[in-house]
Amino acid sequence: MIEVKNLTKVYKLSKRKMAELKTKDSIKRAADGISFTAKPGEIYGLLGPNGAGKTTTLRCIATLLKPTDGSVAVCGHDTVKESTKVLERIGFLTNEIKLDPNFTPKYLFSFFGRLHGMSESEIDARRNELFKYFGINDFEEKKIEELSTGMKQKAAIAVCLVHDPDVVIFDEPTSGLDVITARSVTDMLASLKERGKTVIISTHIMSEAEKLCDRIGVIIDGKKICEGTLDEIVNSTGAADLEDAFFTLYKENHKEEA
Amino acid sequence: MNNAIIVMKKELARVFLDKKLIFSLFILPAVLMFGIYSIMGSMIGRFSSDIMEHISKVYILNAPEDFKEKAENKGYFDIADVTVLPSDTSAETITTVKDDILNGDAELLVEFDKDFINTASSYKNEGDAIPNVTIYYNTSGNYSNAARNNFVNLILDDYKNTILSGRFGGNLEVLNAFNVKNEVIVNEDKANGEFLGMLVPYLIVMLLFSSAMGLCVDAIAGEKERGTLASLLLSPIKRSELVFGKLTALSILSTLSAIVYSVSLILAMPLMGSSGTMSELNMNVHFSAFQIISLLIIMVALVYMYVGIISVISVLCKNTKEASTYISPLYILIIVAGMLTMFQGGVEKSDLLFAIPVYGTALSIQNIMTNELTALQLAFSAGGTILAGVVITFAIAKAFKSERIMFNA
Ligand SMILES: Nc1ncnc2c1ncn2[C@@H]1O[C@H](COP(=O)(O)OP(=O)(O)O)[C@@H](O)[C@H]1O
Ligand SMILES: [Mg+2]
Repeated sequence: MIEVKNLTKVYKLSKRKMAELKTKDSIKRAADGISFTAKPGEIYGLLGPNGAGKTTTLRCIATLLKPTDGSVAVCGHDTVKESTKVLERIGFLTNEIKLDPNFTPKYLFSFFGRLHGMSESEIDARRNELFKYFGINDFEEKKIEELSTGMKQKAAIAVCLVHDPDVVIFDEPTSGLDVITARSVTDMLASLKERGKTVIISTHIMSEAEKLCDRIGVIIDGKKICEGTLDEIVNSTGAADLEDAFFTLYKENHKEEA
Repeated sequence: MNNAIIVMKKELARVFLDKKLIFSLFILPAVLMFGIYSIMGSMIGRFSSDIMEHISKVYILNAPEDFKEKAENKGYFDIADVTVLPSDTSAETITTVKDDILNGDAELLVEFDKDFINTASSYKNEGDAIPNVTIYYNTSGNYSNAARNNFVNLILDDYKNTILSGRFGGNLEVLNAFNVKNEVIVNEDKANGEFLGMLVPYLIVMLLFSSAMGLCVDAIAGEKERGTLASLLLSPIKRSELVFGKLTALSILSTLSAIVYSVSLILAMPLMGSSGTMSELNMNVHFSAFQIISLLIIMVALVYMYVGIISVISVLCKNTKEASTYISPLYILIIVAGMLTMFQGGVEKSDLLFAIPVYGTALSIQNIMTNELTALQLAFSAGGTILAGVVITFAIAKAFKSERIMFNA
């Protein structure tokens, strides 16, 4: 269970960042009053263009960022006050956070398992299961730096699921992956949902959101514009499919900065 | 605590599971040290034997009549190729000889005053003429310097003795007011200890830092840059455990690397050849158990603090390049602190000064070497350093919690 209430995250911008974003404001509201709830046994999707605030929102859920305003609770634990309890229950995957290139998938899997307080036999059992599912056994003894993008992503997913977390948070889980690998990832997410986990992903790929997500929250410029099942969103905008619906919403809500 | 050990083991595994890293951290420095020292040793050896064997080209102007006989007796012709210039030699020839000396084609030109022997032996009273010998040589040429010394020692001293003994009727003892006898009374342990006391604190203070530098910058700023540090922040352990585990592992590695450096440095020194003072020194200093234990305590505290300081800077920087830029000036500061103690030996220091990190450590090591460290000084020194280490650990843990530092947010 993830409860996001009125989440606002404001970044202070450095001079360089201001130039980069071509803005005169010295702050950036990356998340602006976002609220939603993701429940066990469902896949909740944050859909939005680049820079909408998806990663920021997910990082707040994963305790890495503190909300400027509002609050986030995971399984009833506040992400700021009880961050360790939250970390015990989540698996967080994001592009910017990487596995140590000097180690093998096998070593890192055990390492993070131990940090989660698992016994060696628990870790072994879990490794057999996940490494087999993702076909990691073939390269489990190779260093991460020697692996292809797809192999790295598989290893990263296995590692972040080592402790069989109740809440799974994946930031653009299929970006940069080939179709086959992407499919094994989405299949895994579907099976996690079947097992009653709370799954939340971010994506800017319409087809992924269509096929995978039970409910979708559309985020544009840090604000949640609308929320619902695929059908609800498509119907409410009177569009033909999600892509059309999304485009309509985007035109209505995105204001070009002066 | 358990988690700190897991983190520490991983940091150690990074090095010990990697043959390339083991080689570059522990084997290469030793090989380099031995290589450099043996090359230096053989160069110094070749250099000095070359000068000894060199036959120098010497010109003598207005040579006294018995010069040839004297030089023959002293075997001077074996080490010098002597050309005696007649007294009517032209000024141009003299200039050419001087140019040759400047260019290194000749080593020496000696000009005796005309009638040298007669003038010298006819000296009777104050105010009588004293003859000159003028030696032209090139101070920047090693051969020329050696040729001058040989000429003075072999030929001129002989002339001097002959002339003086003529003057004083054969008794040269009148010229000797007294003899100075040097009888050395020394406690070998303390003498060697003082020498080590000068060198070792400096080496330890410096080498520990330089070994820690590369390791820590990579393990903190490097991990931050590569995005792997954040993966540790996602594990449900206390930040202070994470920091303590990392710093402990880095301390162990830095210590090992510093030990490799200092052991190979000391072992390689004899390779410098017999000319150095090092090989003449008896290195058999006896350390008491207290000395060894205090040295260990102080080194462990020091290395942990170093690792901490470098890590604080590394964690505040965006990447390894930035971190190295800020740490280099600090390294110079550490070297200066080490040197300060090198040149301040002997002065009584207030015990409180021992609590100053780095400086106090160098003072303590100095006193350990001469076996003068008191338990109070040891406590102050170790306490000051450990306190600094603890403060630094929590500072880094705080930095790990800061989203601004970790995620630029
Ligand atoms: N550390 C940061 N400092 C300043 N601005 C940031 C920072 N991280 C992200 N932003 C800005 O916040 C906005 C949202 O970013 P992000 O959450 O990464 O979007 P998304 O993941 O939807 O692409 C973007 O405009 C981005 O430039
Ligand atoms: Mg993103």
